[in-house]
Amino acid sequence: MAAANEDEILEGFLCPICKADLKSASQLTSHFESLHQEEQDVLKSLKDIFGKAKKIILNNDDTDLKEAFDKALKFNYQEEAYYSQEQVVGVSRSSMDYFKAVRSARLERYATETNKLLIRLDKLVCNMPTEPNQRKQFEQQIVPWLDGSSVKLCPNCAKAFNITRRKHHCRLCGSILCHDCSLFLDLNIARAIVDPSAPISTEEQDQESLEKNGLRLCEHCYNLVELRKQVQDSRNAKTVVMTAYEQMRSLMEQARPAVAMYEKMCQSLFDGETTYNLSDVNAMRGRIGKLAEGIDLLSKQIAAHPVTPGTRQARLHSAIRQAAAHYIKEDLLSLRKLPTEAQIEDVRRQRYERAERQIQLERRRLEAEGLRANETASSSGVSVAERVHDDDDDPLLEQMNIIRGYIKEARKELRFEEVAILEANLKELKKEYQFQKLSNKP
Amino acid sequence: MNVIQAVKMYITKMTEESGPGMKVILMDKETTSIISMVFSQSEILQKEVYLFERIDSQTKWDNLKHMKCIVFLRPTSENIALLSRELRHPKYGVYFIYFSNVISKSDVKTLAECDEQEAVREVQEVFADYLAIDRHLFSFSITGCLHGRMWSQQHLHRCAQGLVALLLSLKRRAAVRYEAASEPCARLAERVRDLLRREAVLIDNNIPFNGDVPTPQLLIIDRRDDPVTPLLNQWLYQAMVHEILGINNNRVSLAHLPDVHKDFKEVVLASDQDEFYAKNLYSNFGEIGQTMKSLMDEFQRKAKSHQKVESIADMKNFVETYPLFKKMSGTVTKHVTVVGELSAAVSRRHLLDVSELEQELACHADHARHLQRLKGLISNESVTDHDACKLVSLYALRYEKHASNALPSLVDALKARNCPEHLVKAVVNILEYGGAHARQSDLFGLQDAAKITKRLFKGLNGVENVYTQHTPLLKDTLEDLIKGKLRENLYPTLGGDDGYGRRPQDIIVFIVGGATYEEAYCVHQINQAYPGVKVVLGGTTIHNSTSFLEEVKSAMQGVHRTHTRHIKNV
Repeated sequence: MAAANEDEILEGFLCPICKADLKSASQLTSHFESLHQEEQDVLKSLKDIFGKAKKIILNNDDTDLKEAFDKALKFNYQEEAYYSQEQVVGVSRSSMDYFKAVRSARLERYATETNKLLIRLDKLVCNMPTEPNQRKQFEQQIVPWLDGSSVKLCPNCAKAFNITRRKHHCRLCGSILCHDCSLFLDLNIARAIVDPSAPISTEEQDQESLEKNGLRLCEHCYNLVELRKQVQDSRNAKTVVMTAYEQMRSLMEQARPAVAMYEKMCQSLFDGETTYNLSDVNAMRGRIGKLAEGIDLLSKQIAAHPVTPGTRQARLHSAIRQAAAHYIKEDLLSLRKLPTEAQIEDVRRQRYERAERQIQLERRRLEAEGLRANETASSSGVSVAERVHDDDDDPLLEQMNIIRGYIKEARKELRFEEVAILEANLKELKKEYQFQKLSNKP
Repeated sequence: MNVIQAVKMYITKMTEESGPGMKVILMDKETTSIISMVFSQSEILQKEVYLFERIDSQTKWDNLKHMKCIVFLRPTSENIALLSRELRHPKYGVYFIYFSNVISKSDVKTLAECDEQEAVREVQEVFADYLAIDRHLFSFSITGCLHGRMWSQQHLHRCAQGLVALLLSLKRRAAVRYEAASEPCARLAERVRDLLRREAVLIDNNIPFNGDVPTPQLLIIDRRDDPVTPLLNQWLYQAMVHEILGINNNRVSLAHLPDVHKDFKEVVLASDQDEFYAKNLYSNFGEIGQTMKSLMDEFQRKAKSHQKVESIADMKNFVETYPLFKKMSGTVTKHVTVVGELSAAVSRRHLLDVSELEQELACHADHARHLQRLKGLISNESVTDHDACKLVSLYALRYEKHASNALPSLVDALKARNCPEHLVKAVVNILEYGGAHARQSDLFGLQDAAKITKRLFKGLNGVENVYTQHTPLLKDTLEDLIKGKLRENLYPTLGGDDGYGRRPQDIIVFIVGGATYEEAYCVHQINQAYPGVKVVLGGTTIHNSTSFLEEVKSAMQGVHRTHTRHIKNV
């Protein structure tokens, strides 16, 4: 039988679900209708039994230790049920709309002012003459300086101007201030603000040369420009640690579905299903191990990143490492042990035996009912199986072969979700194929 | 109505709304406790929150512009000021701001005006504004909420805000009932109603009116109605730990013990994170011992079987069972340490004798015998001053109106054993605080015919355990409420009784002056005994006898003695 599964070949009028031999087509149909309407129930009871078998097979320390734990603690399930009612997240209210309204109204004012300053700054730094005399003229040309003749006191600190306390002008707004109230903006930084792509020379300037070469600004203008610079900086900040962290998170994202898949595959093996092979599951385990390694490596890299000890940066790195280690230990390395080949064989055999018993039961039932023995049925049962070989060109068979190819490919690439879907398709096709055979029969 | 779950969901919501990325959480003193009650550090690390900072920390920190900052604060004016400063010079990239209660529009405006770098992405009110101790138990951790028998305004406001937050977080519209005889209860009830009215729009939009179930009820009662419960020694695990060692925000300090392992200087007892604790909260001391023993036996058996690690397979087997093994051994060792300390205290302080008399005093009237035994215990050197003072206080409460009341001579006896002055005063304070004049209910069951017969029956049935005879008054009150028999004149509903809230299913009880773990157990029992009924208990704090004496002291400060003037020797 081309369509039969790899393990064993059953012949006859097989029920696709319980694998019982039904002797004739009509009996098979009636059997199917009467018994498998409650397909779920059958499956469920099967699963229960296998669950128990699994427990016996798996009789390892985990389970009985846990049982002892639960027993010792008198776990009260009723109580749990009482508390595990569903609960929705409580009331919350966002004030963001109002917040934004206030903020943008305020920032708009700032924004126009900042923009004006930036345009001036741009003009100032771009064509700045090197000659000090020309520089002063040039600066005045771009920003008209306030007439200082009537100003007797510094507007900022309210101290009187005299021979020692001279009048100065802010280069961006042109207002008057004394030397003590002036702030200086490094020209290099000014250039960087105007043109973020320009290379920033990192050499630190001492106060003296800064005062000589830098732009004299009033406090107000300085703050606005400085603010602008900070926003710029925070936009461009992306460090090695950041990239490593992002990679680590993306690995974690991948690991989550992988672990879920592994659990599913493992369960399916324990249940004696044939959807996945042991080698598949092992490959999956290997892949999770690889992910864990990757996460471990990246988190170590983050933790080893040089920082001054005692700072928050250092604390952050060690916290990330701690979280990653915890995640690996709890979620990735505590995977279930795989069954051995022999155990799987055992479970599968039991499953097969059950099917066999079912067949016996059916047969006995038939005999007891005293239905007419149907010779043609049993002989044709064999002939069906034989005839299967004849028509390889059946479109269904072709379809099945294509799907098998797909499954092989998906296995190779560890896409086990697909394998499961394809396997299910294949089973369906097999079922369909068998039905077709039955109905084709004269 | 699971308060732990409610807080957890809010915190999870915060971490999720800020999207992926490294996060820091910025808190104040109170919100730090709120979070630490429901989340362990490793749990919150898994939510990408790596740093925990206090907004009021004075240290100048370095900038971490690549981090997202979740701000979780109570909406106090200091916090607004501190947060404004933070926003003016932001240390982090973006901010998601959550307040644990209603915030005024003007405060939002202040913050918005400081956000010049447009770093704020969200401003929200969430209502996780209480300490969730257990699924059905919360507190505000305020000891000494009353001063001179009246609310201190700050505490009154905190409690009212907290109760409103509780209702919003559980999505319940509740009718407010309060103990009529208590002035503080009435004040609090009114304040809660006012706050609820102010948020009527929010409530209408978010909590649909459900006509199918009876209106949930918020019942506010006074500790003064039952001063006995917090005075008793407890034998249930949780209550006992609190009475003997003290639980503070789910943490028990064992640092004072001489030879304690360094991992157990401070142990965390949280029902949410510790399975053993969750299941044995309400086991009594004897049962705990049994459970421990069986666990240890099982453990030794396992450990022994693991000792013969010979083959590679054995080794692998061991490693694979290791996480569970280690986790369990950690938990068990922790509880063995705690239980060991409890049992040492029990024998050192003669707590079995003390507790037996305490229970007798609380549950039965037999003046001559009690007086004799009491005198015996006071003269016993091993009984601590604290326990002696508690016994005398119980006697004073029980036999306040008894014809041959011997309180003055007992006070003399206390003085004779050199009992500290403040403890002697505490006896009178308690009598003044919770004497017959202050109680609205029939605490000792002297008048009510039904209660007398009930007591008789109890007596006939025999007592199962002399140390756990006492049931708190709260149980009767709650049972009356559930059956719809709580009298409207004693416990009026604010805004009048519409008859609709009779036989409520969702009940929140709040005790002004603090609740106890014994009462938490009683609420737990009621939750189980009445299917469909869900009760949540709260208190200004959770008392043991020590903190209760402080509470009484604060409440009686500056109050003239009016009912205890006859006790001349204090």
